[in-house]
Amino acid sequence: MVRRLDMVLSSIGKKELMALSGLGFIGFLVAHLAGNFTILSGAEALDGYAAKLEALGPLVWVAEAGMVTMALVHVLVGITLVVRNLQARGQRYAMKKSEGGRTIGSRTMWLTGPWILVFVGIHLAQFTFPHKLTEEAPALSKLVAEQLSDPIWAGYYVVTMLILALHVSHGFWSAFQTLGAAPSRSGYLRDTAVLLAFVFGAGFSLLAFMVFNVPDLLK
Amino acid sequence: MELTLRVWRQAGPNAPGKFEDYQAKDVSPDMSFLEMLDFVNEDLIRQGKEPITFEHDCREGICGCCGTMVNGKAHGGFEGTTLCQVHMRHFKNGDTIIVEPWRSRVFPVLKDLMVDRSPFDKILHAGGYVSVNVGGAPDANAIPISPNAQDTAMDAAQCIGCGACVAACPNGSAMLFVSAKVSHLDVLPQGKVETVRRTRAMIAKMDELGFGNCTNHAECEMACPKKISISHIARANRSFWRALFSHES
Amino acid sequence: MTQLDAKIPGGPLEQKWERHQFELKLVNPANKRKFEVIVVGTGLAGASAAATLAELGYKVKCFGIHDSPRRAHSIAAQGGINAAKNYQNDGDSIYRLFYDTVKGGDYRAREANVYRLATVSNLIIDHCVAQGIPFARDYGGTLANRSFGGAQVSRTFYARGQTGQQLLLGAYASLNRQIHLGGVTMFTRREMLDLIVVQGHARGILVRNLLTGEYERHVADAVILATGGYANVFFLSTNAINSNVSAAWRCHKRGAFFANPCYTQIHPTCIPVHGDKQSKLTLMSESLRNDGRVWTSKKKGDKRTPNDIDESERDYYLERRYPSFGNLVPRDVASRAAKERVDAGHGVGSTGVAVYLDFKDAIERVGREAIEKKYGNLFEMYERITGEDPYTTPMMIYPALHYTMGGLWVDYDLMSTIPGLFVLGEANFSDHGANRLGASALMQGLADGYFVIPYTLGGYLGSTKLPKVNDTDDAFKQAQDTAEKRVNKLMTAKGKRTPADFHKELGLLLWEKCGMARNEQGLKEALSKIPKIREEFWENVIVPGDAKDLNQTLERANRVADYLEFAELLVRDALERKESCGGHFREEHQTEEGEALRDDDNFCHVAAWEHIGDDQSPTRHIEPLTFERVPLTQRSYK
Repeated sequence: MVRRLDMVLSSIGKKELMALSGLGFIGFLVAHLAGNFTILSGAEALDGYAAKLEALGPLVWVAEAGMVTMALVHVLVGITLVVRNLQARGQRYAMKKSEGGRTIGSRTMWLTGPWILVFVGIHLAQFTFPHKLTEEAPALSKLVAEQLSDPIWAGYYVVTMLILALHVSHGFWSAFQTLGAAPSRSGYLRDTAVLLAFVFGAGFSLLAFMVFNVPDLLK
Repeated sequence: MELTLRVWRQAGPNAPGKFEDYQAKDVSPDMSFLEMLDFVNEDLIRQGKEPITFEHDCREGICGCCGTMVNGKAHGGFEGTTLCQVHMRHFKNGDTIIVEPWRSRVFPVLKDLMVDRSPFDKILHAGGYVSVNVGGAPDANAIPISPNAQDTAMDAAQCIGCGACVAACPNGSAMLFVSAKVSHLDVLPQGKVETVRRTRAMIAKMDELGFGNCTNHAECEMACPKKISISHIARANRSFWRALFSHES
Repeated sequence: MTQLDAKIPGGPLEQKWERHQFELKLVNPANKRKFEVIVVGTGLAGASAAATLAELGYKVKCFGIHDSPRRAHSIAAQGGINAAKNYQNDGDSIYRLFYDTVKGGDYRAREANVYRLATVSNLIIDHCVAQGIPFARDYGGTLANRSFGGAQVSRTFYARGQTGQQLLLGAYASLNRQIHLGGVTMFTRREMLDLIVVQGHARGILVRNLLTGEYERHVADAVILATGGYANVFFLSTNAINSNVSAAWRCHKRGAFFANPCYTQIHPTCIPVHGDKQSKLTLMSESLRNDGRVWTSKKKGDKRTPNDIDESERDYYLERRYPSFGNLVPRDVASRAAKERVDAGHGVGSTGVAVYLDFKDAIERVGREAIEKKYGNLFEMYERITGEDPYTTPMMIYPALHYTMGGLWVDYDLMSTIPGLFVLGEANFSDHGANRLGASALMQGLADGYFVIPYTLGGYLGSTKLPKVNDTDDAFKQAQDTAEKRVNKLMTAKGKRTPADFHKELGLLLWEKCGMARNEQGLKEALSKIPKIREEFWENVIVPGDAKDLNQTLERANRVADYLEFAELLVRDALERKESCGGHFREEHQTEEGEALRDDDNFCHVAAWEHIGDDQSPTRHIEPLTFERVPLTQRSYK
């Protein structure tokens, strides 16, 4: 067992943890995006959807516990990886160009990750915690409409979704590569990652944009 | 043609280093990059100055001795080419060329452009072999191996241990080097027997030495003078899973 | 002059080795641990010997000049390794491999050694496959073979164009395993400066740590030298820049006889010299001659581009002169034929010192893809170096120094004339005679290391009583004193010329006077010039930097100093061997058609030179060669 633990905590083990938790989040994002599309059907649909989720009771708790675990793993392991990588280089190059393998996504993981982490905190504070903490919180649709009618917040949401897309564009393919399932540097998984990034970026942004531009949507 | 070389000079592992400029005059386009360095060095020696120390030997791209960052790219950034095989016809008169040693905490600079790559050997000591003694081998044709598997093994086995992968990796990771050996032996029946032990030992050693983590930038594949694909990293990752769940002690 | 005894075991040829293996003394496994063995060199012979001896239980110390054993120049061998497996059912056998090798060596090798080599060749392939070496395979999963220069059967095993690399990495892997298990202590970046001989036995070495410049003394019960050949004495060769003769030469000066130094091999398919700043030559694998056709223009001084020269104006001179072997004649024959064409004014390219190697017909016959699969990496390499595409324009090639058959004299047990000093691989002289066949160097290196030395070393250690030796003994002190003085002399000369400059001058002289063709007048001229270069070297060389530091110029100077002594022996040997055989071509001794003409009455022997003193001419000893199985005939590849 000790050997297994050693392996899990090895460099590859940590990467596998990143990959698995990352793929978990991508699964969550797919569900989240699908759920969010109820916005297009109006406030009632959105609140109804939220209520239905709420009604799942213990299942919600299980899911949330899972999410928190994944988040802890993804963030903590991510930090240890970044720290180690910085140490491994030692002296920086006076001049270093890309050899042609890196993408904008892969290059910016260390920036997009923390950005998303901060966003998740804000996002939870704005939409999730009010309901968890008080009985008299306004309906979800109200909260959404309120936040996204503010151009600064709407802008922040859209920018973040593009950043999320960037993160996914590398993360999705990278996870499969780490799990040993990617056939090569290019190939369909790379394309799928880009497609998925587009879907997330465009999907979430579209909804934010709609709420901002169509004031009546969530009335 | 005439070129300006901006070369990293460092007297020893603990000495501070700095860039110094040298003029390379009368460079012919048929010269190799190392011949151009020879030429500059001969001049320095004649002046009683210490020549630029760089590692080199076979000068045909197979021994893995040579290799530095040239203008920010490993081996100069010419596809599938070690520095000794880069010819000066790729440069223009008046160019300034920046020459810098591999940078990795695990590969300390020994002198000028020469670094210590012995950590690669240490990883291989840990398990980069088939444990077979002379004398006990069955007939070479006793185990048929598909040309496909042999091809994959050969793709990986071509690694020359030059260190460009570590040098080019933004994280200073040795995963391409390690996976090339793991992959080479894993696809062959002779090597499969020891997969679990080998994978565990090599990963543990790689980590112990202080290399960075692979984050799948694929810079290594692009920098590799033998064009070793990161698909071997994926295969090594699969070996990791096998080793993780194996009951072998 | 004395006659040397090679101690060839009795009995019929086929049984000599087996009988000898049985007769050799064994060392009890518990006692093997008590014996320390030094292996110098980490190429195929050195790495395989070190690993195998450690497997048997000996305490091995292994030394190399590189940062890793994997860098040794065996890594650069491209074409393949021979074995008498007869997997292709084309009539090969141990006897045929033996026969081809003796004939290919122009009857200047020992029959018994060659037969042993052919016998163990099969074991090598078995072992290498077990190590996981990815040899090329056919669709059914069995091993593939190709034919190689000088052979009419397909017996060459290969791993793309990187066979040497894969075999070396295999031996290196076995070595790594023994390093991990504690059987081998590896000393990298150490250059051997001297052999320590105590009471007539080799008992240790003095090395210089190339990183710190420190001298280190190492004691052992036997020393195995596997330090490769001396082709770099010619400055331009296909050898790696750091390949050198120093270790072998220092052993020679301690009493080991040097055999047949004039047997140097010129490889026919190298990329031609481009200019005077060139540092080394690049070989294109001989396997290219399987599909490529060699030609020049029938017209003298033809400066047209090759594709403008009509089929009828091309002279496929190898096919013309040697109809039965054609482009696959042995290396010495192919090289001389190219020189003959160039000397006659038919050379091609801007320098006129090259011939074409054309793949047009092969591409038409089997398609570009098949050619790409076979030779892709070689073609790429050619294009990288020359900037020309060999798929559409014929390659230009010219012979270059490549391998040296001569080396330290060894007996059947691979022991030199200094008891306890064994010499393996290219560093010894034994198996290739006057010319080595393609794909035989890898075979010999591994045969010596994996399958011969493990037996013969035991025979020596099991039957010799050795006194205790300490690294503080006089022999060590004296050796270090000599080495330090020499280094001091180099460091303080403070002259005007670089070591490389002297090396170049020497190399050019040798190439002109003692290269592909030699004659008495030229050799004598060289013999008078070399001492002058040497004299100037010691007065006018400049070595900057510090001796107690990583100092590449000093390393080079040390090696060039040895070349300057060794070159004289090489030329002297060439002068004394008044016949043509294999790689040694004396213009005075040729047939009317310009083929090499042996003199079996007077020169059917090995010449082994003894060092008498620095200022004295060496003594030439001989080991007569007898041929019981392969009748002495004029080699013919017509």
